[in-house]
Amino acid sequence: MIARATGKLRIAVPKGSLFAGSVATLAGAGMDVAPLRDLGRHLIASTADVDYYIVRPTDVPTFVANGGADCAICGKDTLLESELSVVELVDLDFGACRFVVAEPAGAHDAIQARYRHHGVLRVATKYPRITAAYYDSIGVQVDIVKLHGNVELAALTGLADRIVDITATGTTLRENDLVVEADVLESTARFVANPASLRTDPRVAGLATALEMHVSNQSKGGHE
Amino acid sequence: MQYTTPRGFRDVLPQEAALRETVSTDIAWAMSAWGYVPVETPIVEFAEVACSLDGGKSGFRLFDSDGEILVLRPDMTVPLARVIATRMRDMEGPLRLRYVGPVFREEASLSGRSREFTQLGVELVGAGGALADAEVLGVLLDALDASGLSDAIVSVGTVAALSAALDATGMDGGWRQSVLSSIHGDDLVGLDALLADPALDADLATSIRRMVRLRGGLEAVDECRRLLMGTGAQAALDELAEAIDILSTSYDVESRIRVDFSLLRSFDYYTGLVFEVFAPGRALSLGGGGRYDDALATWGRPAAAAGFGLSLEAIVAALDPAISRAVDTSAEVVTGGEARMRFARAADERRSSDVAVTLDLDAGVAR
Repeated sequence: MIARATGKLRIAVPKGSLFAGSVATLAGAGMDVAPLRDLGRHLIASTADVDYYIVRPTDVPTFVANGGADCAICGKDTLLESELSVVELVDLDFGACRFVVAEPAGAHDAIQARYRHHGVLRVATKYPRITAAYYDSIGVQVDIVKLHGNVELAALTGLADRIVDITATGTTLRENDLVVEADVLESTARFVANPASLRTDPRVAGLATALEMHVSNQSKGGHE
Repeated sequence: MQYTTPRGFRDVLPQEAALRETVSTDIAWAMSAWGYVPVETPIVEFAEVACSLDGGKSGFRLFDSDGEILVLRPDMTVPLARVIATRMRDMEGPLRLRYVGPVFREEASLSGRSREFTQLGVELVGAGGALADAEVLGVLLDALDASGLSDAIVSVGTVAALSAALDATGMDGGWRQSVLSSIHGDDLVGLDALLADPALDADLATSIRRMVRLRGGLEAVDECRRLLMGTGAQAALDELAEAIDILSTSYDVESRIRVDFSLLRSFDYYTGLVFEVFAPGRALSLGGGGRYDDALATWGRPAAAAGFGLSLEAIVAALDPAISRAVDTSAEVVTGGEARMRFARAADERRSSDVAVTLDLDAGVAR
């Protein structure tokens, strides 16, 4: 367990596609995000009261659950996939994407026939737990192949019958001649906290309240 | 051949082992002072027994030569419940039991987590109500004092208040199950979505939403009372307030107890008081407990019961930075004298006056 080096609130911020939305949302909740806007290659950005840690999105739950950070912004998809113990406090209403099952266009009947014959589907994904939970819930037996990226290739090359992946606009699927076979779940960015930090540091609950108010004002204003 | 311990297990060398022993003994003394007596159970249980309450989270399984499936115990509550319901069935209550021992939990590879812990705790069986709740919290506070962690914060709440509020919604069992699994999963966003159900009274939904975010001093109990007015939660809240009130006669509850209605984990197991212990400034739970009045009934010995378990590892880790407890592992050395016998006797005399003495074995060989 990591000891607190300073009395600052430690917030993990995901780099990548959720970064800009995270910075804007924190700013909207009244946080000083100036150092995040001028980050360079720094992994820690500090204000007088806050240390922001720049974390790879899939590592955010690990940092928060193990006490490396007090709280964080994290995609629901990553939370589900990590199965770690963090408290999910606010739906931040940005970074929306959905999990879908996709297959090559026109291949549906052939895949179904193969499933009837074989009894097991082969599904490739970056998200094995979400995939397993989905197929368990609909009672379809699958062999899951874990990949780290360009999952679409699995369906195109015959490595797998179908893929489970996230899509925001569907462009990648369309350009690779894949179609959505089923919806699995929807995901947005969430504000999450370490259970102990939430219960011992009032700043965590305070930030949750500020974020909630910001999100609710945004949605009343009718824009993202 | 690899000369290491399996992942998540480790050797404890003398300096740390001495600290652990001291802390463990001091906590045991604090528990004894309340009349709690020690009990021991085996490290292995039948899989069927061990999984009866924890839903099978125990990871380490083995077969014995009879073909029985055994598990290394994942916690102490189930073994204690078993022995209370069987061999201690006819003992006059209330029973006050304390325990200390290793527990084993399987953790995913590459998660950096330990798989062996030492759990210290108590069970108070055959007594319910505010006074019994206050006793368990009192033992806990004394155990924390004894370990040197007087600044640890105990967050307390009650699951009975939420139970009553959920009863008042009149919603069906499936909805309730979803609510409980959101709460177990610490998913307040999912809970909000369920509370947005149009079939639900909007005011009650808002009250529940606010309740699970309610924490603070004693005034939080009153705030919860206002929120859940007319739901049947009042009795549970009165009991919580009374327990804290009793405690306040002997302890500085303002600084040591925090009311927290978000504390609802393991809800299906607890029936009233729930609490968790935190070391301030560290993202670390030292342990927790509560009241589980229905658990023993599944073993055919219905009885009110409450207790807590603390992790010795977490306590020692929380003590560590300050090394607030330097444990004396030094000893005087008696070097050789004129004769072997006198040499040994000199050492003996010192030991009987409580001085640790080691023999200098080379010098001790009398010439």
